[in-house]
Amino acid sequence: MIVAVESRLRSPEDLAEMRESLRARRRPGEKIVRICIGTGCAAKGSRRIYDLFQQAARETGLAVEAVKCVGCHGFCERGPIVVVEPGGIFYQGVEEPDVAEIVRETVIGGRPVERLLYEDPIRKTRAGRADDIPFYRAQHRIVLAHNGVIDPTSIEDYIEVGGYSALAKALTQMTSEEVLEEVERSGLRGRGGGGFPTGRKWRSCREAHGSPKYVICNGDEGDPGAFMDRSIMEGNPHSVIEGMIIGAYAIGSSQGYIYVRNEYPLAVEHLRIAIERDREIGLLGEDILGSGFSFDIRINRGGGAFVCGESTALMASLEGRPGEPRAKYVHTVESGLWGKPTNLNNVETWANVPHIINRGSEWFASIGTENSKGTKVFSLVGKVVNTGLVEVPMGITLRRIVEEIGGGVRDGKAFKAVQTGGPSGGCIPAQHLDARVDFDELTRLGSMMGSGGMIVMDEDTCMVGVARYFLNFLRDESCGKCTPCREGLAQMLYILDRITHGEGKPDDLDKLEQLAVLLEGAALCALGKTAANPVLSTIRYFRDEYVAHIEQRRCPAKQCRGLFRYRIEPELCKACGICRKACPVKAISGAKKTPHVIDQEKCTLCGTCFDKCPFGAIVKV
Amino acid sequence: MPVVTIDGKRVEVEKDSTILDAARKAGIWIPTLCYHEAVSPQAMCRLCMVELDRGGWKQLVTACNYPVRRDITVSVESERAVQARRGVMQLLLARAPGNSALVALARKMGVEETSPYPTVSKTQRDCILCGLCTAVCEEVIGRAAIGFAGRGPQRAVAAPFRQPSEDCIACGACAVVCPVGTIQVRIHEDTGEAEISPFKSRAKLLTCEACGARLVSVPVAEEVLKKVRIDWDEFRKRARLCPACRRKRAAETLGGTVKQRQAGQPLP
Repeated sequence: MIVAVESRLRSPEDLAEMRESLRARRRPGEKIVRICIGTGCAAKGSRRIYDLFQQAARETGLAVEAVKCVGCHGFCERGPIVVVEPGGIFYQGVEEPDVAEIVRETVIGGRPVERLLYEDPIRKTRAGRADDIPFYRAQHRIVLAHNGVIDPTSIEDYIEVGGYSALAKALTQMTSEEVLEEVERSGLRGRGGGGFPTGRKWRSCREAHGSPKYVICNGDEGDPGAFMDRSIMEGNPHSVIEGMIIGAYAIGSSQGYIYVRNEYPLAVEHLRIAIERDREIGLLGEDILGSGFSFDIRINRGGGAFVCGESTALMASLEGRPGEPRAKYVHTVESGLWGKPTNLNNVETWANVPHIINRGSEWFASIGTENSKGTKVFSLVGKVVNTGLVEVPMGITLRRIVEEIGGGVRDGKAFKAVQTGGPSGGCIPAQHLDARVDFDELTRLGSMMGSGGMIVMDEDTCMVGVARYFLNFLRDESCGKCTPCREGLAQMLYILDRITHGEGKPDDLDKLEQLAVLLEGAALCALGKTAANPVLSTIRYFRDEYVAHIEQRRCPAKQCRGLFRYRIEPELCKACGICRKACPVKAISGAKKTPHVIDQEKCTLCGTCFDKCPFGAIVKV
Repeated sequence: MPVVTIDGKRVEVEKDSTILDAARKAGIWIPTLCYHEAVSPQAMCRLCMVELDRGGWKQLVTACNYPVRRDITVSVESERAVQARRGVMQLLLARAPGNSALVALARKMGVEETSPYPTVSKTQRDCILCGLCTAVCEEVIGRAAIGFAGRGPQRAVAAPFRQPSEDCIACGACAVVCPVGTIQVRIHEDTGEAEISPFKSRAKLLTCEACGARLVSVPVAEEVLKKVRIDWDEFRKRARLCPACRRKRAAETLGGTVKQRQAGQPLP
């Protein structure tokens, strides 16, 4: 819905009035079609579907405003997602030809299109609404509550659902000290990975000498497979901005920066629009809502270096220097951007702030565990049935996330481990699946919360290979400034390469552990200090796999090429000859109606026969 | 003034001095590679790790840039600190196992063995990426003709686009501070030029008008003339100094140490 705002909002009353007039336009039973245009759904063509719905609306006389583009719902693998009101009918996997049917049946006829509803893979029942889908049922959505509901490019939508009411409350009913105390009492901890108490950070910055003071939003999300922050910035950019304004008020800052990677063009675009609209109606700039408080935000795009997610490297990059970290013996809250007191928080942390101010610290602290409050957004990926973004209360068990929300491991395989915390996190094995997810528990298990990546692995995953994969990523993404990280990771990777090629030496595990200790103690920044985690946690829980690679030259998961062989099961072989013809080195022989055989001498282990066999007769041994 | 207790010895230092300053005052040796008093601490090489007692827990910190703000207790000889320094040295030695300066320092630290991987490429000539050359070029000379290029294992000191830099004045400061002899000044007698190797930048050399001996490069001479105020008072003052002190005074004029620059002493 587009409402022209003629004038600036000069007081909280103006804002409330605007909200009321926006809400007054809503009628019960109103028809709305919401099409997700988050990056996941857009990749599957949801932009085109949005256009088709608009066209259909024009043709059928439906109000064009009723067709809305919205942010990410989290269930990206089932995209494009379309939700039709009234009734919140949740369609998944919508394709272009389905648009006409949805308009005819649901929008006009009021009947659901059964085949586009979510089907429970086990019970084979259809779920009409998002709340009926197990993926959503166990979630507790606070930060993501309005993702998928509002148009991220419309400030009116945000205000209508209660947006900026926390800002109005903070600016007019609370002193900056009271805002700070509220955040302190809430127990909110940084969602970017470190888990530092947000209130304490704000206070240090507020009390630091020096001016001006800066606030920064870290949107340089770089973990492979993680997209929590992207979805928030894309789907609800105003919530991040509102959090930042409130934070700036509490700290005493008048300039903010959002550092977002350039690989997130939609996030950049939506944030840019949001900031422009905020300035237009007076929610950013001079004298916000007539309070006398002034604050503005600039967007800075990052070049995509993983290390720029580290606060000091990010600030160096903001200053126009190479993104390399520096020692934090003097904290950034004292001397950060341009040597001034700087408070940096992650996207999700900022997005939590308006909710804390609105609903109070007691409400927020009632969610979660003793030392980890509120909810956390995870990107659940890997070998689970349902992948996507999930927001869960702290303290939920890993088992509930994997089995209930994720729907268990794909293809009936056995669960092996879940990797949390991004590349510098660790792998948590099956025996700890009942561990409660919070900052301290994950650290105790040798992993970490990180920014919220969660990769599920099944029995076919080689844990040495996993460690090698993450280490390779970190070696490439290390800035190379300090010796332990630059040289140590290269050495560790060299050793892991040897092990996965079947050339491991008896003392390799000791060497890996020595290097890991060195990195943890001597590296300059958090990237290096935690970089050995993937190796340490896999050695801790899967030592026997390392030993099998090194001593028996065998890969138990049968993933490391050369450490297993292919064999044809005579009972299963139908002697069709496909493998024989496909083999590039003519290592397979066999006549008609007789089971084929692989000549192990000739076999180069390329795996072509394994991929080609239609009967599953070729097995890894 | 805060007191640093370092391996049991107590020394008083000025606020915001470093642990390294305290150690030197106490006569305790901490190995360093990327530290030089002419430039601000880089803390890149991590060779100066010491263990800081935080009361209840201990943390490894770099001595060269840890600012002393209150009374602290530091251990240079603790098992963890020694292991960290040796570990770092082993990694550096793996990079440049044949470098005599590095081997000598390693011996002094009790490091004999290292792993055979990863060695540095030939074109980098034992460079351990300590960053002294880039720092001196930027901070003292004010040119920033060289810097770091590449990330992670690809990191290397280079001039932009790996071409001879137009900003280089061939002063040779980078070669002077290089702890492992990677950077060299080569004099080309045939063309009368100085070359900063391996960066390939060249500049004409001034020659003595009387005997024809090679002096500094032409751009350096121009740079010096910009920085030095020529007046007779100063000339007379310096004429009363011995050659060593006269040289020291001249060095301060042209850059000096970090502390001299921070103190903001007026240029003599």
